[in-house]
Amino acid sequence: MIEVKGLSHQFKIGKKGKETIIPVLEGINLKVDYGEIVTVVGRSGSGKSTLLNLISGYIQPTEGEIFIDDHNVTSFNESKWADFRLHNLGFIFQSFQLILSMTAFENVELALTLKGVHEKERKTQTEKLFKKVGLEKFMDHYPSELSGGQQQRVSIARALILNPPIILADEPTGSLDSDTEDELLDFIKQLNHEMGITFLIITHDEKVAKIGDRIIEIVDGALVEEEYAS
Amino acid sequence: MRFKDQFKFVRQNMKKNKTRIFMTVLATAMGCAFLIVLASVGFGLQKSIVEEITQDRLMTEIQVHGKENEENAGITMDDITYFEGLDHVKAVTRRQMVDQQGEFRVGEFRAEGNAVVVDFPSETKAGFELSEGRLPEADNEVVIGHDFAESLAKWNGKETAPLNEDGTVKEEFKYKGKLIGETLNLGVKQYEGEEEKSKTFDVKIVGIGKKPTKDWEWDPNIYISEKVLSEIEAFTGTPNGTVITPNLPAEERDLMEQRKDRFYSQVSIYADDVENVKTISETIKDKKYFAYSVVDEMEQINTVFLIVKSGLIFIGTIAIIIASIGIYNTMTMAVTERAPDIGIMKAIGANPSTIKRIFLIESSYIGLLGAIFGTIVAYLITLGVNWLLPIILSNAFGEPIPGDFKFSHIPLSLPLICIGICLVVTILSGLRPARRATKVDVLKAMRREV
Ligand SMILES: Nc1ncnc2c1ncn2[C@@H]1O[C@H](COP(=O)(O)OP(=O)(O)OP(=O)(O)O)[C@@H](O)[C@H]1O
Ligand SMILES: [Mg+2]
Repeated sequence: MIEVKGLSHQFKIGKKGKETIIPVLEGINLKVDYGEIVTVVGRSGSGKSTLLNLISGYIQPTEGEIFIDDHNVTSFNESKWADFRLHNLGFIFQSFQLILSMTAFENVELALTLKGVHEKERKTQTEKLFKKVGLEKFMDHYPSELSGGQQQRVSIARALILNPPIILADEPTGSLDSDTEDELLDFIKQLNHEMGITFLIITHDEKVAKIGDRIIEIVDGALVEEEYAS
Repeated sequence: MRFKDQFKFVRQNMKKNKTRIFMTVLATAMGCAFLIVLASVGFGLQKSIVEEITQDRLMTEIQVHGKENEENAGITMDDITYFEGLDHVKAVTRRQMVDQQGEFRVGEFRAEGNAVVVDFPSETKAGFELSEGRLPEADNEVVIGHDFAESLAKWNGKETAPLNEDGTVKEEFKYKGKLIGETLNLGVKQYEGEEEKSKTFDVKIVGIGKKPTKDWEWDPNIYISEKVLSEIEAFTGTPNGTVITPNLPAEERDLMEQRKDRFYSQVSIYADDVENVKTISETIKDKKYFAYSVVDEMEQINTVFLIVKSGLIFIGTIAIIIASIGIYNTMTMAVTERAPDIGIMKAIGANPSTIKRIFLIESSYIGLLGAIFGTIVAYLITLGVNWLLPIILSNAFGEPIPGDFKFSHIPLSLPLICIGICLVVTILSGLRPARRATKVDVLKAMRREV
């Protein structure tokens, strides 16, 4: 499903000519199979987010290739990436990343709108999903009128709306309290079981890491895999 | 993304900053109104002048005034035959003056005027109409001009005519009866050596011409056929009945006596359609005839006005370009403000081209709104100008301006041109902000770093 081959990434900072090169990832190889939950852990600054941003196409790798669903996404241009993301990937972020000027409903509906679905069809699909995440009473609320947990559920609804086979999550529980975190983890497991959605989750939280079928640790820019039998 | 949704998106975004959008639309509307009002003066003057020229005139007429490069510069029968043979020529009218100090008498009434020799068949084809009676059939029948009766005065034998100061005949001397069927005596003179001899031709009035189309025109002529002219020529011994007075210099006399052909003084070619006037006119101009047609004149006027109008539209466009700076600013600010939203949209899979299109729709929507409001305002200003300016001018100069004279006129093409220019300018000014929107970095935007 996701295959990373010899992936390296370096950041360049400073002015041209006097750049400092910061190597973050070095020759990463990773394979995530259909229906797996894989969690990535590592110390702060180890390059977990960088790895996910590379797989999401937000940044381009210095070296190496990434295949998603047998597509060599490293060769994609911006426009192709956009379409690929819309149809194949769902995203959950630590700070939710909801559009503040849109209601919860509009935020979830957005992907359908971008895809060009009719208004009526959008409404039924979005409402259905709101029921599923248990937020049907809050559809017309703006993000600022929702709690952190509610906002994260809205953002999960947004990630699910186009039924993507893969969901990428960077510290999805980072802004939530312990109880809400548990609810969210249960929901992720449920989605994985019922719908077979593949998850790649980045975290530094033990509890979150443990829901993974596999846990992968990044140390000094390289991967160390810990098999987990849960 | 559907256009409808993109448009909805744009409207929602615009609602968030009503004042800024309003000011930008206002500036654009002012630019458009300025352009339309400025150019409408060009259109208005052109329309009024063209209407003035074409009023009551036959657009299909080509007047021929002579021929270049020949000693004999008059138009002769040969030329007329040539004109009649051209394609798309409906009729060729030719008028000649009888070269005499014409004296006409009906009973004891007398008038002075011109005897005009016309070719009735071609005149009829060209639109010559009678108000009464019929066209001549026999050789000695004539048609009189509409105002001939007015110029007849009872003659008291003295030289001074019984006229009012303005040249009209005094009421008590006016001819009151009807003229059709009356005999008209046409006096003709010629010198034989020193001696003056005269002859009177008796002709019968059978028809009266139509009233001239223009109010100030006055037609006291009599219209005779070429057959009557031939009789006159037989008496005078000169073409067109020219009088050769004894005190004329010898050279001129010789010239006159040598002349054999009749000269046609007012020759007009009538085309079968306005569209063919230009071709005929060019053909005969190539043959070195002096030709004039309203169409020719119109073409020159239209060329001049085309330049004037283009100039005015160009100046107006500058106003729109200035307004477009406002659009550029508004759009740049909109992109900056919405960068986090753009970043999130890109993160979940919005295509850069969609984002670009949304911003271009927004800037052209502002442009379109401006153009529409500008057009409405321009129409109002034009109404005001056309109502107010004649009043001001007639007060200032003490002379009334002709009633239907329009200073400003907005043809449908003008708002369309303006909307077109406005859209092009606003899309161009929105292009850079829109491109900037597509370049928003997803990660920076999500970290609220933009
Ligand atoms: N845009 C950037 N420019 C320069 N250096 C960067 C940039 N983004 C990240 N880095 C550097 O790359 C390294 C890895 O960062 P990354 O955000 O991937 O860490 P992380 O593992 O996600 O840490 P955390 O657990 O704190 O989120 C860090 O040392 C960081 O300084
Ligand atoms: Mg991170």
